[in-house]
Amino acid sequence: MPVIQIPPPYRGPTQGMTEVDVEGATLRECLEAVEKQYPGFGPLVIDPAGNVRKFATWFRNGDKLMGDVLATPLDPNDSIEIISSVAGG
Amino acid sequence: MGGPTGDQMIRVDMTNQTAELVAFPEEWRLFGGRALSAKILTAECDPTCDALGPDNVLVMAPGVVSGTAAPTSGRISIGGKSPLTGGIKEANTGGQPGQHLMKLGIRAVIVKGKPADPEARYALNVNADGVEVVAADAHKMKRNYALCMDLHGEYPKTTSFITCGPAGEMGLTGASVATTDQDNRYPARHAARGGLGAVMGSKGLKFVAVDPGRSGVRRPEDRAKFGELCKTYTKEYQEGPQMFQFGTSSVVPMANMLNTLVYKNRVEGQSPDVESLDGARIVESFETRGGEMHNCMTGCIVKCSNVVHDAQGEYKTSALEFETLTLLGSNCAVKSWEDVADMDRLCDELGLDTIETGGAIAILMDAGGMEWGDADGMRALLNEIDQGTDRGKAIGNGAVATGKFTGHHRVPHSLGQTIPAWDPRPLKATGVTYCTSPMGADHTAGLVVNPGLTQDQYVWESQKSQIVNAVCDSSGFCQFLQPSLDDIRNFYGALYGEEITREQIHDQGWGCLEEEWAFNRAAGLTVEDGYVSDALQKDPIAGQVFDVPMDIINQMFTKMPPQEDLFSAKASG
Repeated sequence: MPVIQIPPPYRGPTQGMTEVDVEGATLRECLEAVEKQYPGFGPLVIDPAGNVRKFATWFRNGDKLMGDVLATPLDPNDSIEIISSVAGG
Repeated sequence: MGGPTGDQMIRVDMTNQTAELVAFPEEWRLFGGRALSAKILTAECDPTCDALGPDNVLVMAPGVVSGTAAPTSGRISIGGKSPLTGGIKEANTGGQPGQHLMKLGIRAVIVKGKPADPEARYALNVNADGVEVVAADAHKMKRNYALCMDLHGEYPKTTSFITCGPAGEMGLTGASVATTDQDNRYPARHAARGGLGAVMGSKGLKFVAVDPGRSGVRRPEDRAKFGELCKTYTKEYQEGPQMFQFGTSSVVPMANMLNTLVYKNRVEGQSPDVESLDGARIVESFETRGGEMHNCMTGCIVKCSNVVHDAQGEYKTSALEFETLTLLGSNCAVKSWEDVADMDRLCDELGLDTIETGGAIAILMDAGGMEWGDADGMRALLNEIDQGTDRGKAIGNGAVATGKFTGHHRVPHSLGQTIPAWDPRPLKATGVTYCTSPMGADHTAGLVVNPGLTQDQYVWESQKSQIVNAVCDSSGFCQFLQPSLDDIRNFYGALYGEEITREQIHDQGWGCLEEEWAFNRAAGLTVEDGYVSDALQKDPIAGQVFDVPMDIINQMFTKMPPQEDLFSAKASG
């Protein structure tokens, strides 16, 4: 199963879980699966129009995802990392 | 051991208006910025002194790697006893003076005493020929931008400035110390927290002019290794997510979702105006108005500073940061980033901390002294501060003073310093930092943005962040470059041609905190004094109050065994 790594700012809904294994053929399906397990996670990363929020950068196995990120097909061994800006003076 | 040699410090006696260069102690070579300031204050400042009296010591200290070719490494610490918290304070800023002082081999400026004539103003000139204190009465009570415009005509183009605005001259405890930014243009960078501008003002020191002339970068002992570190670090940063490429203001929508875009004196954690305060609107304005993302100091690869133009395409301010958009924006129910930009410029002109000032104005509004969101009223209020009205002085003295002025009960603070945007109720480990940091409520002392932590994790996460940030603020690296302890010790090692161990760098961070805590204890401050105020313990946002018990808080003062993640954790403020 693909694994979604949960960055610190998003660990409220996941109750501290740092990664979640989910079933899904695309990133969208995987994120929807995370939302089912941990309600409240989805809106943190997907906006009301159904697109990924702008302030996060997505990586699959270390490679930056571009374009239609949510349509990215995932293999069972894939790992998704989300990097978001969380500081600011 | 090798590396840069012959470093010096400047000792300034403002009672007699003299300055001299003295040798920098060799044993302090790995101490810069915050850690160096703590060492100097521990050795030379009576913690019980009047913060605005002659016995306080004002320190200006660049970081260890400032003035070298290391990326984004020219930060400077301003230190002293804070008139706001009553404890030790270090406020860290960018701009050019840190780079320039270090190119001249000057590791610290130590300012003591006070002129007999409180109306007299002086300047400190620093260049390759030496140092001198000169009269500066002609610049008395000038706002920062007008001051720098005049100084640009008086000094060589290569000169950068450290300045004190009218708020500092008036002794207002929300006053900042300003530095000029890249190209020595505007006094737009501020060592803002803790009222150190008032300490500078109390000494009659209006500005410091630093002209490096043709001085070159500092030469590391192991040039090949240092050069390779610079190259590798820069490449990795530029190929990474570059989280600050659109500035800290791009954090606004994320903060809103985390219930930390505080609204109306922190009674709520989300603002209905998140879209019009989002930094994305500022970036969009570049296309029609001009403006850009730029670097505040030479050699910066982060470039997080937005240069904001007005509707006519003229420069207005720089940088308009997340904290300012929150404290002077959402926390006062101001709807538009453009109004906040005006207030940011006014605070920079006066030399005021935008966090403390925004916190104070929100209290005034909450008390019924001004309508929520009244941007015109806020501009007028800021403009009356250097006119010396009672209301203006209350705002300039910060949140607690404004609470007393209005008689209002809801005053969010720790150690007398208002709470930054990052709220301790949803972010409890950050709250532990506010309660335990020698700096009081200062997010740059140890920010932990992780709402999923359990109570047993708060202290380690806060301690880790406080140690990493203390070392970062001693190194000269910017927190937004996000160096780890391993990164920093590797740069130190190449700079001085010696191996710096993990134990050494851990000890440096912890030792800095211990010296600062000792200063605060000697000043009469207790652990209980640092606990965040009632407003945060009783008024919930998103169903949460700050309720971390004292037995957990007290664990912070024991050095924990380092876990592996201490050395890879990135600075974050």
